[in-house]
Amino acid sequence: MKKNNMITPEGTRDLLFEECLARRSVESKLADAFRTRGYNEVMTSGLEFYDVFDPKYSGINPEEMYKMSDRRGRILVMRPDSTMPIARLVATRLKNHQLPLRLFYTQPVYRSNPGLAGRLDENAQAGIEFMGASGIRADLEVLTTAVEALSSCAPDFRLELGHAGFFRELAHQMPVSEEQLEDIRSAIETKNYAALDTILDTLPQTAAVHGMRRLPRLFGGEEVFAQAREICSTEKAQKTLSYLHKIYHAVQDLGLGERVIVDLGMVQRNDYYTDIIFTAYTEGYGDSILMGGRYDNLLAQFHCPMPAIGFGINVDALTRIALAHGHYNAPSAAQILVFGENGYSIKALSHARALTKQGLRCETSVAQTRAEAEDYARSLGIRRLDVVGDQITEVLL
Amino acid sequence: MKPLRIALTKGRLEQDTVAMLDKIGICCDSVRNKGRKLILPVGDGSIEVVLAKAADVITYVEHGVCDLGIVGKDTILESHGSFYELLDLGFGKCRFALAGPVGHDFFSGYHTKVIASKYPNVARNYFEGKSMNVQIIKIEGSVELAPLLGLADAIVDIVETGTTLKENGLAVIDTICQISARLIANSASLKLRKAEIEALVAQMEKAKEEQK
Repeated sequence: MKKNNMITPEGTRDLLFEECLARRSVESKLADAFRTRGYNEVMTSGLEFYDVFDPKYSGINPEEMYKMSDRRGRILVMRPDSTMPIARLVATRLKNHQLPLRLFYTQPVYRSNPGLAGRLDENAQAGIEFMGASGIRADLEVLTTAVEALSSCAPDFRLELGHAGFFRELAHQMPVSEEQLEDIRSAIETKNYAALDTILDTLPQTAAVHGMRRLPRLFGGEEVFAQAREICSTEKAQKTLSYLHKIYHAVQDLGLGERVIVDLGMVQRNDYYTDIIFTAYTEGYGDSILMGGRYDNLLAQFHCPMPAIGFGINVDALTRIALAHGHYNAPSAAQILVFGENGYSIKALSHARALTKQGLRCETSVAQTRAEAEDYARSLGIRRLDVVGDQITEVLL
Repeated sequence: MKPLRIALTKGRLEQDTVAMLDKIGICCDSVRNKGRKLILPVGDGSIEVVLAKAADVITYVEHGVCDLGIVGKDTILESHGSFYELLDLGFGKCRFALAGPVGHDFFSGYHTKVIASKYPNVARNYFEGKSMNVQIIKIEGSVELAPLLGLADAIVDIVETGTTLKENGLAVIDTICQISARLIANSASLKLRKAEIEALVAQMEKAKEEQK
């Protein structure tokens, strides 16, 4: 049998040197942004029971989860998402804690993607969950945090707002089966106008059907709100629209200006998001770099009903951007190489310790001769050699 | 501003697309006289055309290295992926069909049917929808050979006129779905370059209506 001991599985990779620095730099900038706003870090297990991610409420395709079984034959998965585990954690260990809870995480998630498409199965993510509060203040708190976190890492991005209420309200007024509704939702999600028309043409042409037809086309800036007014026939829909409009203005005022856009046709993970949904895009990255929204029904699945909102940031995407823009500390050689003459190796080690205590980066040489140590220092670009014998001599190379 | 990049499926769809672009005033002479170049500026240079194989069009658009793509629905159904499907361009029309030897009832008998196809995912979805267990074999070339040689009971393939089927003693058993060329867009591109893309889509839509 062919041995696979020299490669990593498809969809995974090793990170080296500047890649690690860029990734850590992104992670620490995001963590700082979260921490300064009062969010506390949690880490959840990499292995979870499959039941935590029940597709009925998680909206995660079971075929995308890496599965295995434990000693008792129960199905485990490699964490495909961080929100469900945090909901589980809150519902069990934090249920008596003062609300709202401000939590953040920096940990990878695992999804099995179709092969050879250039997608990663192991994705670095960072994000927050704000649990136990609803209303415009809570929503804006989370959006502000999203903007601040992204601003620290992405030079230019657009934040896009949507709301799950439009689709839900229109769907409510239409005489369609669950399967048909899923077809409609999927056509709207992919902005497949042709497929959407084909389905809707078979239905009685009511105001709701007309609204559904318009929904995926309603994206852009301020003008969308005027255009949307006609499809919001019910009082509830009107309320949703004016709520979103308020949020839109508030986010504009936060300094994003024209960089905030809306798309009423955002219908991702239907039944998971309950109210506002938001995402972010940046030039040069073909997918969203942030995904989030309000999911008020999730905690009830863990017998601890409470409103909640959160988002996850694609750390791999931001790392790529940081690498492209040189936004990280380039790896550099040690400042000093410490070489101990024969019989002075202990003295050399304590000299190195004294130097590192001052904050200098130094390596201790394992060479047999001073000439070897010098060659080594030159090849790595280390500019100073400290030779430790009876005395300590600094040699500049 | 970077030019808008459109990935174009080489071959027949390429000709139809070039004709459509010419019609809406985007001169495609550079595509007609392309030589060996693979990235070609068209019109006033605000658009670039990239020539690629059908499945690659989807890959390029999905990753956002091309903003738009023109590709057949057959390829979309076979490879999936996440992108926006903005427009049915109305050309490149044909259909997916299940076809088998003339005079033989495909659905008779108890044995598990063997299906040959260049489009295993389309075939799988079709039979899953019918709750039928079949054995699917991927064939790269002329799929019509498989039933003739006795390898398969039927084939799932693109049918245009049905002439090839007829000449080989095969006939359509069931139409799976209609196919035509589609305009697809990268999801980030559509949001970041909305005005440009929508203007182009509107022009293409108009050209399509006039064609009717």
